[in-house]
Amino acid sequence: MSLRQQTLTKIAQKWDMATITRWGVFALVVAGALVAPLTIFKAPFHQHILIMVLTYGAMATAWNIIGGLGGQPAFGHTVFYGVGAYITGLLFVNWQITPWIGMIAGGIVAVLVSIVIGLPTFRLRGHYFAIATMGTGQILLQVALSAKTITGGPLGLPIKVLPQGLYVFQFHGTKLPYYYIILGLFGLTFLVQYLVQQSRLGYYLRALKESHEAAQSLGINTTYQKLLALGISAFLTALIGGFTCQYLLFVDPVHVFAMSVSAKIMLCTILGGVGSIYGPILGAVLLLTLSEGTRAWLGGQGRGVDLFIYGSLILAVVVLEPFGIVGIYRKLRSRLVRRSKSETA
Amino acid sequence: MKLLETVGLTKKFGGLVACDSVNLHVEEREILGLIGPNGAGKTTLFNCVAGFFPLTSGSIYFNGQDIGRLDAPARAKKGIVKTFQIVQTLRLMTVLENVMVGAFCRTSNVATARQEAEAVLEFAGLVDKRDVLGAALTIADRKQLEVARALATKPKLLLLDEVVAGLNPTEIQVALDMVRRIRDSGITIVMVEHVMEAVMSVSDRLVVLTSGKKICEGTPQEVSCDDGVIKAYLGERYHARSQ
Amino acid sequence: MVQIVAQLVVSGLMLGSVFGLMALGLALIWGIMEVVNFAHGEFLMLALFTSFILFTGYRIDPILSIPIVAAVLFLVGLAVYWLVIRPILGGPAFAPMLATYGISMLLISIAGFLWGWDWQRITGSVVDARTSIGGVAIGFPELTAAIVSALMSVAIYLLVTRTRMGAAIQATSMNKEAAKLMGINTDREYLVSFGIGAACVGVAGAVMSTFYPMAPNVGALFSYIAFTAVALGGFGSIPGAILGGLVIGVTMNLGGYFLGMEFKNSIVFVMYLLVMLVKPTGFFGW
Repeated sequence: MSLRQQTLTKIAQKWDMATITRWGVFALVVAGALVAPLTIFKAPFHQHILIMVLTYGAMATAWNIIGGLGGQPAFGHTVFYGVGAYITGLLFVNWQITPWIGMIAGGIVAVLVSIVIGLPTFRLRGHYFAIATMGTGQILLQVALSAKTITGGPLGLPIKVLPQGLYVFQFHGTKLPYYYIILGLFGLTFLVQYLVQQSRLGYYLRALKESHEAAQSLGINTTYQKLLALGISAFLTALIGGFTCQYLLFVDPVHVFAMSVSAKIMLCTILGGVGSIYGPILGAVLLLTLSEGTRAWLGGQGRGVDLFIYGSLILAVVVLEPFGIVGIYRKLRSRLVRRSKSETA
Repeated sequence: MKLLETVGLTKKFGGLVACDSVNLHVEEREILGLIGPNGAGKTTLFNCVAGFFPLTSGSIYFNGQDIGRLDAPARAKKGIVKTFQIVQTLRLMTVLENVMVGAFCRTSNVATARQEAEAVLEFAGLVDKRDVLGAALTIADRKQLEVARALATKPKLLLLDEVVAGLNPTEIQVALDMVRRIRDSGITIVMVEHVMEAVMSVSDRLVVLTSGKKICEGTPQEVSCDDGVIKAYLGERYHARSQ
Repeated sequence: MVQIVAQLVVSGLMLGSVFGLMALGLALIWGIMEVVNFAHGEFLMLALFTSFILFTGYRIDPILSIPIVAAVLFLVGLAVYWLVIRPILGGPAFAPMLATYGISMLLISIAGFLWGWDWQRITGSVVDARTSIGGVAIGFPELTAAIVSALMSVAIYLLVTRTRMGAAIQATSMNKEAAKLMGINTDREYLVSFGIGAACVGVAGAVMSTFYPMAPNVGALFSYIAFTAVALGGFGSIPGAILGGLVIGVTMNLGGYFLGMEFKNSIVFVMYLLVMLVKPTGFFGW
């Protein structure tokens, strides 16, 4: 075979029909996401929904690293969101540090908090860790409510409205910049999730999730690996917290440390398919359009309704299909494959 | 050269003495068989050596170094790796991925780990099953995989816990053959085993435990003739047959 | 100063006795079937509100309604086990934990819907009185609560350790398969344990309603208290859970006084993290 023929054959082998379809769909989705707010979703309210979808999609993707891939029950993940929001806000309000740096600082603090939570509890069974994440969120909520002079207490931390600009991370009159920034952040978390899954950390997490002892017998320091995954997840979640602080120009302690936020983040992933890399964003699309939509429809009476919906959905998924939408998809696909096999046989 | 030495190794669980002042050693490149009746403390001994149980008293020396303070992952990195009596196959991962997890002990690069894993699969005769999920394997394959995965960590001392239990005679021969090849490649092996024919035929030396105490050690021939051992464990028939 | 400390310790012990009973319920469920009941605090909230309704709606004094509330919570426990936990026990390990987490959210939202989100309390109960012994003020509601809780705790402990049913429960928790082979209906033991665990919370809530205010969100704090108590006492240990409850009651009071009232609750979580760091197996745990 000539060199030209050889090269063409190699390309044809790598780029078979399945791969082309997959990349094609991927490119379409990305293109769609880029033009969505400019075309179909021009209304500010729709753009807000998109931003919310991406916000929770990003946090759910970050959660998936420790919760799905790692299998560790991080039930109180909102603690990192809150840390990110407050650090970003405080650095800006007190020292005019640009939120871009503030977000990173928030991320670093979140990593430190994650070590405090994980170090004592990762040596033990999973539920100890779950309780620790929730408890730490409560402690920080208490601190935020009590340290009135620093954090503004129960009234929250408002961010002063300034002329718009990239440095101050404020844009008025249009939501478009916010949309593209959160889209970029989501892309970042998705990329990190993918890289982790493909790396040694990814393999180690899958191993220790199934058998702690087997992992240890193969030289895996399980506590360290879990801390690593949690740290990455915490950092990314805090970034989103920082973003939200700037998007809302306000940090409300009761919101950023609320159980409902943790529940929503987890639910996105579980609904979509825990452990799979597309699960979180799929779940976020479904859940956030639902919740933002019902909020507009129900108005102020919605106080307990979101908890009711989340609780019911969690139960429904756990009892009916623990592996979520992706789980259903996989079952359908293998059934189709089996049927086509028996037909051709 | 003593690769492993235990001095006065004692392990108690509350009032129960599982291992009672056990002194044994393993020479480099030998296959040591560890036998004894059920409940003699063999698996407990393994868990102590591998770092899963802290000792109540006594010491363990590996290559002359006291490893008492090292936990299981640290000991694995030093080269002491154990397989499990009840196989811990990673059921949601493929055969190749299982072995890669072992290979990652020595490298953090994914491509290198994959290469090493493929080489180990060759050695273990599992190449044609590389993409099969752990959950879909037969028990014989799972046992094979368990050993292959441990091999991928490039151990110096391999602790095999009942590696032929539950296998039919053909499968047992295949497993024993691999044990010999592992030893020939430079790795020292300690085997806990109940299947007498298997451990007798492959071991260079044996250590016999009963109720946590070592009661005899020597070549298979010597041990099977020892009255104490026969009384405790082997039974009249085997003794008579070996005469 | 000594006076104040004595006061704090005494009222801490009284409240701690109630915590102990609640934690005991959690230890039972957790120890038997390894299900961490994240809805435990919400069970307590439910008990508080049930007591409230019986008092304001039907004029039944909280003390008299103890058996009723206990029965209601027992049924709730049975229902939760049968409808939610049992179907998912064979599945992924995270499922039961997640399920109880979902139930807790459901209960909070239902409570908010039925009874509103504001704080409420019961006044005018038959035990509403106080006395003073050696300079230490003792409220009868708290004292009654402490005594009832202590009695109930002892009763459950005896039930689990001395009766045939208790032995069956313990056997099931140690080795489900072996228990099944012995002819024990493990399903029924799980069911009963969940029910009894919930009933304990029922009693705790009924007696607490005489002096503690309630709101749908109050469950979270009690969940953490229960978890910390069980962690302190050691996973699966009933005497440990009771002791843990007492320790928390006293520590919360002392801590709240010396560090500030707003940190009273945070102390529980700090204690939890400390226990995890220092002695994760707790006083009596395995």
